[in-house]
Amino acid sequence: MRRERRSGGPRQVMRDLMDGELRSADGHALGRVDDVAAELGDDGTLRLVDISTGPEALAGRVSSRLRPAARRLLRGRFDARIPLADVEEMGPTIRLRRPAAAYRTGRSDRWVAEHLLRWIPGSGR
Amino acid sequence: MRLALGILTAIGGFLDVGALATAGSAGSRFGLSLVWALLLGTGCIILLLLQVGRLTAVSGRPYAAAIREHFGFKFFLLPLSVELLADSIMLAAELGGVAVALSLLTGISWHLLLPVGPLLVFALVWRGPFRLIENGPALLGLVTLCFVVGAVMVGVSSSSRLPDLLPARLGGSDVPDYLFLAAAILGAVISPYLVYFYSSGAREEHWTSRSLRTNALSAVGGMGFGCLTALAVIALAAMVLRPAHVQTGTLAELGLTLSAPWGRVGAVLFAVSLFVACYAAAVELTLAIPYVVSQGFGWEVGENHLPAQAPRFNLALICFVLVGTAVALIGIDPLQLTLYGSALTAVLLPVSLSPFLVLMNDRDALGRHTNGWLMNAATIGIIALAAVVAIVSLPLLIATGGA
Repeated sequence: MRRERRSGGPRQVMRDLMDGELRSADGHALGRVDDVAAELGDDGTLRLVDISTGPEALAGRVSSRLRPAARRLLRGRFDARIPLADVEEMGPTIRLRRPAAAYRTGRSDRWVAEHLLRWIPGSGR
Repeated sequence: MRLALGILTAIGGFLDVGALATAGSAGSRFGLSLVWALLLGTGCIILLLLQVGRLTAVSGRPYAAAIREHFGFKFFLLPLSVELLADSIMLAAELGGVAVALSLLTGISWHLLLPVGPLLVFALVWRGPFRLIENGPALLGLVTLCFVVGAVMVGVSSSSRLPDLLPARLGGSDVPDYLFLAAAILGAVISPYLVYFYSSGAREEHWTSRSLRTNALSAVGGMGFGCLTALAVIALAAMVLRPAHVQTGTLAELGLTLSAPWGRVGAVLFAVSLFVACYAAAVELTLAIPYVVSQGFGWEVGENHLPAQAPRFNLALICFVLVGTAVALIGIDPLQLTLYGSALTAVLLPVSLSPFLVLMNDRDALGRHTNGWLMNAATIGIIALAAVVAIVSLPLLIATGGA
């Protein structure tokens, strides 16, 4: 909500992106923006680099102290980083340029479907 | 079937094992004198559903998604864990209620019948499209109107019983029980899972700002239906159980209310009604949690997809049914479980409801459909009421031993 396009610095864009819903070009829900990474340029400007989604990013959101523990445990296996260049449209829903299969979160959905749900009759797999 | 969402929400959320039990106890002990709690609770839940339906219809965001987007992940964890905890207990209680109903019909011990409930719930939610999930239990739920017919029949045929409807004079020792029951009724009627389920249903039905009339009809009609039936249970318990000095301690005793007008058929009708009410509530709870989780984490959601098209939603659903079944298999009496579940829900109610005040006044999301001052005042009133119920519930539960 509250995420109309507004002119504002990176801080405003960051706030607008955070927690937004990610949708692939082919319309699949891919998760939410769990964290946003930015770099400080030599000239002192803040530049947004990518958005990340997944349990490690979330753990970092809850407490920065949880971040290293989560990293050791999960080793990035379940997190996805999406370059800012992939963002086609901002808003309450963030549309991405590529189809779900191109992103890691789309793959984890597939893994659940192919390895767990397929054992139950009628899953559509 | 425009009312179906409301009626399912009503039968599932309103007429669950908790509402039946608290209404039965209230009637058998205090006549109609606790009807105010039922009416007050109904008014509150109608106002909450109206708002959350409007939020979802206009902004396209279900309640859980809106909480995450507006307040961030850290805050979202709070209502999420609250729901997970309270609803696991509630689901176990409803599954127990299904087993008790089946045991009344078959004579087999309810402990043995416990696994049947989860299987029936899973069979419906696994492949059923949202329409079927709405309409099936909603149609079955019309059976519960037998309480209303029964109450009228008993009232007309034996007018000598009408005085039992009058409020009892409260002795000093009754006061804690009376207050506990009032809090229990409010806690059973104002359930947050209803709010989450209703808003998810509105999303599944693709409501837009043109659906506001449907929203009003569903919320008022559905909750009105549930309230009417609960009212009939109170009246029946007052006219049938109170003169016999039966203070319902088990669900089977509550069944006597329908045996009075219809004998053996009444006993079967009661068992069927209990089954339908608990089954619908279990279905609703089973869906509410995966909806909350998936909306919060942004996973593909949906009962209108094949399970493989919304894998993590369906994985959450399976896990939640397993957790509910595991809690049920501990073997605690369903009535006792409901009592704990409702008390816990009541304690946590202010957490689940306070986001309303911010979300419903967000102009960016709702445009001209934000709350007026009257609705805001009413919402503050509801949260204050919830806080009072929360504060008194636990001490009263301890003081009365869950009478």
